[in-house]
Amino acid sequence: MTVTARDVTLVELVDRVLNKGVVLTGDLVLGVAEVDLIYVGLRVLLASAGTLDRIEQENAA
Amino acid sequence: MIETKTDTALYGYAVVGPVSDELRDVLDGLELIGTAELAVVVAPVPLSEFGEDVLEDHLNDRQWLAETATAHEAVMQRLLAHTTVAPLRFGSLHRSRESVELFLAEHEAEFRATLARLRGRVEYGVKVWLEPRPRKAPRATDSGGRGYLEQLRDDRDSAANAAAQLDEQLTRIHERLLETADAARLNRPQPRELTGATAEMVLNAAYLVPVGDEALFEEVARLREEHPDLAFDLTGPWAPYNFVEEPET
Repeated sequence: MTVTARDVTLVELVDRVLNKGVVLTGDLVLGVAEVDLIYVGLRVLLASAGTLDRIEQENAA
Repeated sequence: MIETKTDTALYGYAVVGPVSDELRDVLDGLELIGTAELAVVVAPVPLSEFGEDVLEDHLNDRQWLAETATAHEAVMQRLLAHTTVAPLRFGSLHRSRESVELFLAEHEAEFRATLARLRGRVEYGVKVWLEPRPRKAPRATDSGGRGYLEQLRDDRDSAANAAAQLDEQLTRIHERLLETADAARLNRPQPRELTGATAEMVLNAAYLVPVGDEALFEEVARLREEHPDLAFDLTGPWAPYNFVEEPET
């Protein structure tokens, strides 16, 4: 899979926007915010759906 | 099921301060809740876009993700030009102005300290990559007459040595970069499956530096020359996403 320079920047961007910053305790907090958003969001940036599951398994190990 | 009076919520982008007229001029549809010293930048959003199901679909939509993340960062850059910015994590919603005000009041001291720490500074990301070395195939014969297993052991030992050497190199690299910065944060290197690169990411770091300070760039340039076997990616300036928490002492 080839990744363009733009893709690399998008990964950088999404990593920061979804995974960093102050975690706010508001009246409403997105349910999905409990999930490791970096993987939910980055799912689409991977060519094959199988690889994300494999990463998650490796990280869980 | 979340119960709200209206069908909109307030999406929080960042905690900022101080608030100036110049800042207000660039808000462009965004609102400030708070005081002239400490405020949250918010936008009203339809709850229909942020319900759990809808959001999960959106997050799996590359187009939506790219647009939303890009728009989010564009807001940060606009704010960064006029005030100190502590980004909030994506998905920070409040149901009312009162809720935001309460949040600010509860964390006022913390946020003042954070903004003081971040004032006049921006974040740069440094990623270091290593191209995989071709593995030496064990030789079929050897004039010394050593066995195949011994060769494998030698290969394994030299690989372990190479790994130890790399670790040492990276530690020194990080120390030198840290010296040019006010703070640093080491993140988990991203696996190949995520980056799509043939090279392996061996360092994934963020550095907090004063705006206009070039020491970090100069150090990266020096490191590039000293380490031709490594590739250095420098990105930024970013709003200080990696530095909103108290540094560990």
